Amino acid sequence: MKPKYTSPQQFFRQRRTRMGIVFAILLAIYLGSVFLVKFQTFSSLAQVPAGLIWLFKTFIPNQHTTTYLGPIFYQLWRTLIVSISSTICAAILSLMFAVLGAKTTSPNRGFQLTVRFGASLLRNIPVVAWAMILLFSFKQSDFTGFLALFFMTLGYLTRAFTETMEDLDAEKLQALQAVGANYFQCVFCGVLPEAASTMTSWVLYMIENNIRDATLVGLLTGTGIGFLFSQYFKSIRYDAAGLIVLLIAVLVIVLELTSTQIRRAIA
Amino acid sequence: MLKVNQLDKTYGQDKHSLKSVSFTAQPGEVTAIIGPSGAGKTTILRSVNQLIRDDGGQILLDDQDIRQANKAELRKIRHHIGMIFQNYNLISPLTALENVLHGRLGAKSTLAGMFGLYSTAEKTEALALLAEVGLKDYAYQRCDQLSGGQQQRVGIARALMQHPKMILCDEPIASLDPKSTKIVMDILRKLAREKKLIILINLHQIDIAMSYADHIIGINDGAIVFEGPTAQVNDAVLQKIYRQATEQKAKVAANEA
Ligand SMILES: Nc1ncnc2c1ncn2[C@@H]1O[C@H](COP(=O)(O)OP(=O)(O)OP(=O)(O)O)[C@@H](O)[C@H]1O
Ligand SMILES: [Mg+2]
Repeated sequence: MKPKYTSPQQFFRQRRTRMGIVFAILLAIYLGSVFLVKFQTFSSLAQVPAGLIWLFKTFIPNQHTTTYLGPIFYQLWRTLIVSISSTICAAILSLMFAVLGAKTTSPNRGFQLTVRFGASLLRNIPVVAWAMILLFSFKQSDFTGFLALFFMTLGYLTRAFTETMEDLDAEKLQALQAVGANYFQCVFCGVLPEAASTMTSWVLYMIENNIRDATLVGLLTGTGIGFLFSQYFKSIRYDAAGLIVLLIAVLVIVLELTSTQIRRAIA
Repeated sequence: MLKVNQLDKTYGQDKHSLKSVSFTAQPGEVTAIIGPSGAGKTTILRSVNQLIRDDGGQILLDDQDIRQANKAELRKIRHHIGMIFQNYNLISPLTALENVLHGRLGAKSTLAGMFGLYSTAEKTEALALLAEVGLKDYAYQRCDQLSGGQQQRVGIARALMQHPKMILCDEPIASLDPKSTKIVMDILRKLAREKKLIILINLHQIDIAMSYADHIIGINDGAIVFEGPTAQVNDAVLQKIYRQATEQKAKVAANEA
C-alpha cells in the first residue's frame, strides 16, 4: 500500500508524532524499571569511587608478583591458541554453511532455512552454557573449552558470512553466469573474492572476542588463564590475579592493533 | 546472425513486458535498441543469453535456438556471447587482468576455473586485450580503483576474452562522461567492423544511437514499433517510439486523479 500524504507538512507532522510516541514509550519503560528494582541511583553512585580505590589498592601488582609471570604467560599462550584455533576451524565450516545458506548462492530453500535455524540455535546458547553442557562428555580439558568456543563462533560466523554474501550485488554474479561460468566457478571467482575482506574482518573480530570468552570458559573447564585467575583469586594472591587482568587487557589490545593492521593490508 | 522470433515475457501474473518481439541483428553491424524507460530493453537483452527465462518464442543465433539448449549447451553458447553492463559488474577486489581472464570461465573445467588456473597463452591474450582497449598499464590494478570508463573497458576486454560472436550491451554508457562515452562507443563500433561481431546495444541517448548504430530497433511498452536502418529514423519515427509513452503517462495520471 502506498502511504498517502496530502502535504509535506502533514508528512512531517506524522513523523514527529511517531518519534514522540517512541520516545515516550522508552521513557516509560525506563521509569518503570527504575521503580521495579528500587534503584537508588545517587546513593549507589556515591559508593563507586571508594570501591574502585579499594580494588586498585588490592589488585595492583607489586615487585613480588613477577615470580608468577612464568605460569601466567604459559596459560595466556594456551588460551590464545585455543581462541585462534577454535575461530579458524569454525570459520572454515561457516564458509561452507554460508554458501549453502545465503540466498544468492543457496542450491535450494531447504538449505537456507536449515542453515539459518542451525546458526541461530548455536549462537543463542551462551558460551558458558555450552561449556557446562560439554563438560559432561569431555570433562575438564582444553578440548572442552575449544568446543564451546567453536560452537558459538560457528553460529556467529555462519550468520555473519551469510549476510555478507546476501549483501553482494547479484548483478555481478549474473555477469559471471553470462560469461558461461557454472555454479562453483561463480562462488569461487565471484562470491568469495567480493566477500573476502568483510569476512576476514569478522574472523579477526571473533578471535578478539574469543580471547575474552576463553577466560570465562576457562573458569569452568579448569584450563587456561581463566582457571589460573580463579586459583590465585581463591588463594588470596590478589596481586597476581590483578596482573592477569592487566595482561589479558594488554593481549586483547595488541590483538586489536594487529587485526587493524591485517585488515588494512588486505583491504 | 541473431534472429529473435515472437519473443514473449510476462513477469508474475499480468505484467506483459514483451509482446511477440521479433527482430534481427547482423554481424558487422551495431544494432541499437531504443525506447522509453520500462519499455522492455533490458528484458530483451537478458532473454537473449537466457539470464531471464522468457515465456515463448525463438532466439536463433546462427540458426541454433538458444531457448532449446540444455544446461551444458547453454553454458557453451553463453561462452560465445559477451555482455557488458551499465554498472560494469566487475569483481571489484580483483585486478583488471583477473577480471579479463574470467572471460575464459565458460570454456574451462570447473576446477581450473574455480582456482584460477589459466594457461600462459590465456594470460598473454588477456594482457593483449587490455592493451587493445588502452589499459596496458592498469593490468594489475584493482578494479575498484579504476574510473568508470576504465572499468567499462575492462568489461569489454572480458567480453572479448570469450571470443564472442556477439556482445550484448545494456546501457553501457549511461554512467559515463562524454569523453569515456566516445572511447567506449568507438571501441564497440570497431569490434563490429573489424571482428564482424554482432553488437546489440540498449541506449537511452538518441544522438549516440543515431551516430553509432547501423540498425535501429524501437520498442515501446513491450512491442517493436520500428525496425530499420538508422537512415530511416526521422522525427515521425522517434515520436512513434517515444510518444505513446507520454500519452500513457497522461492516461495513468488521469486514472490516478
Ligand atoms: N524482475 C521483474 N519483476 C517484475 N517486473 C519486471 C521485472 N523486471 C522488469 N519488469 C518490468 O518489465 C518492464 C520492462 O522492464 P525493462 O527493465 O526491460 O525495461 P527497460 O526498457 O530496460 O527500462 P530502462 O530503460 O528503465 O532500463 C517494466 O515495466 C518493468 O517494470
Ligand atoms: Mg534497462
